[in-house]
Amino acid sequence: MRKRELSWKTRFWAVVRYELLWNIRKKKFLGVIVVAFALATLSLALPVLLSNMIGQSLSQNPNYVVSTGAGIGGLGMFLFAIVIVMNSISGEFESGTIVPLLTKPVSRTMVFLGKLFAALITLLSAYAVLFIYMAVGGTIVYGLQNNLHLLPLSLFGTILSTFLWIAVVLAIGALSKSSLIAALGTFGIFIALTISSPIISIFSDQAWILNYVPGGGTTGYIAGVKPQTPYVPGIAISTGTDNIAANLINYALYPSSNVTFFKMSALIGQSQQLIELYTESLSIVLLRSIAVALAYIFGFLLISWYAFKRAQMLE
Amino acid sequence: MKLAIETIGLTKRYGSLTAVSKLNLKVEKNTIHGFLGPNGAGKTTTIKVLVGLLKPDEGTFKVLGQEVHGDMPDVRLRMGYMPELPKFPKHLRGWELLDIYGRMYGMTKQERVEQIPKLLDMVGLKGREKDFVGKYSKGMQQRLGIAQALLNEPELVILDEPSLGLDPVGMVEVRELIKEIAKEGRTVFLSSHLLFEVEQICSHVAIINRGELLISDSIQNVSNKLSKPSTMQVEVAKPSNKVVEAVKKLSFVSEVTQDGNKLIIELKTHDDVRAQISQEITKAGEVIVSMSLKEQTLEEVFMQLVTKSQGGRAE
Ligand SMILES: Nc1ncnc2c1ncn2[C@@H]1O[C@H](COP(=O)(O)OP(=O)(O)O)[C@@H](O)[C@H]1O
Ligand SMILES: [Mg+2]
Repeated sequence: MRKRELSWKTRFWAVVRYELLWNIRKKKFLGVIVVAFALATLSLALPVLLSNMIGQSLSQNPNYVVSTGAGIGGLGMFLFAIVIVMNSISGEFESGTIVPLLTKPVSRTMVFLGKLFAALITLLSAYAVLFIYMAVGGTIVYGLQNNLHLLPLSLFGTILSTFLWIAVVLAIGALSKSSLIAALGTFGIFIALTISSPIISIFSDQAWILNYVPGGGTTGYIAGVKPQTPYVPGIAISTGTDNIAANLINYALYPSSNVTFFKMSALIGQSQQLIELYTESLSIVLLRSIAVALAYIFGFLLISWYAFKRAQMLE
Repeated sequence: MKLAIETIGLTKRYGSLTAVSKLNLKVEKNTIHGFLGPNGAGKTTTIKVLVGLLKPDEGTFKVLGQEVHGDMPDVRLRMGYMPELPKFPKHLRGWELLDIYGRMYGMTKQERVEQIPKLLDMVGLKGREKDFVGKYSKGMQQRLGIAQALLNEPELVILDEPSLGLDPVGMVEVRELIKEIAKEGRTVFLSSHLLFEVEQICSHVAIINRGELLISDSIQNVSNKLSKPSTMQVEVAKPSNKVVEAVKKLSFVSEVTQDGNKLIIELKTHDDVRAQISQEITKAGEVIVSMSLKEQTLEEVFMQLVTKSQGGRAE
């Protein structure tokens, strides 16, 4: 019999390898990558096509890439989270493949951490390629770009925001041991927040509460900066956990600015008025969204880990 | 006596059903120990506790001399386990799976390169190792299951119904394989609901029914201990009291009755005593017409044990 000295690194990388091979061969994951690139291409090409049709040349915009990032919105982050980790714990329970895995000399904590790390690598690679694609495409369409060195910051923010959804999917999956419930449950939370947030944000005095739930948060603007829309006197800001990337860039560009929060007096119409509520510094807004995201990530991961560690293999 | 497995009062319940009840099992090192019992007896449940997939409700157990509680990867380093009807990730190729599992055991590249083709050859998967596991038949997954249980040259191999779902040829091959495995100084603990399988492969057997251990000993001792005294029928030409008395006096005879021309002799021993008996009868002046020995098979012992333990319980 051979006596083996096993370092945690060996076991950890073995689990990561196991998981990565799975991730990159998942049909769902490949599907989402294809869709993401198709949408990215469309968002770059459509303005070109439209401006050609009306016979005007597209105006150059040196801030296009840095203000858009990879263009991965709340829905995109949610979808990436779902396809990357929807099966990674619950799926193995369903297929029974968890049994040979957990009887290898790797602790359950190690398996959990390995799966998590593999999800991070997968997400990072997918996003990095998308960011590079958008940076190159944006330069071709809108001319030379400013502040491209801020893109890694944007990448970091997007990953942090996505990880919140990853943690939710993992937690529901580990508790229910069902991929379907994990996906549907997370989708339910996502939809509920996506629908309710803008309404609360625009019409309620109590919109600050949205800063503490996952999603788009509330809305305000940075006064004094050239507005993108005629509705608000400045650049619009969303404060939620989905907006960390955008606010990291805003903070890098306008470090000492303030965010003014407002609500609308009525539904869109003649008498519509913008009522200012209060003002906060952008740094507070940013730090709070990061802290809230981290708290949710940590909390949901703790739940997933605990459920996974205690799970009994009944099938 | 060195033990590979020792359970003390091991109990596991599923809700109100007690699947394993106060099990005291000892498996000696360097034996092939069969774990025999009808379907639903509690074999899989016991094994799942031993490999850490289930937590016992009561009792303790040692594996390879080490008391196991909770998640103990280092114990699993020294053992191999094949689940009942094992399932492996579909998206991995046969060799990839063994390679990744090998890494989890901390095998070096060289060890993996040497060991994996050897095992694939041994279980008859040579030539199919580049196929995805998803394309394997049930029997092939079963063989892969055996291969992965032997990967780390384990001291203890636990196989849960290794021949379940195999065709007759596969069954025979697997049995030969198990005998082969044990030759290298390993302990094999295998469950089966087939008596003849255990009889063919194993040196020892533990019989379980309805969660209770009925007996555990060497195959030889089990059949000796449990079989009823053998009886011998001797047909003589002209039976007389003199003969009956003479035979009765033999030390290994417990009872003699006369039935027409036949003497029914109950023996206290399982040794072959036909010579002594015929000598005695001839000495008493009788002529033997025919002689037959009736002994209980292990099959009968097993059936009798199981029926008895079922009858003994109120339902
Ligand atoms: N996950 C489970 N939930 C409830 N009961 C179970 C479960 N698994 C097994 N059982 C019951 O426990 C008993 C023992 O089952 P098992 O250990 O699988 O037996 P065996 O392997 O000897 O066929 C059976 O009565 C079975 O129905
Ligand atoms: Mg079973």
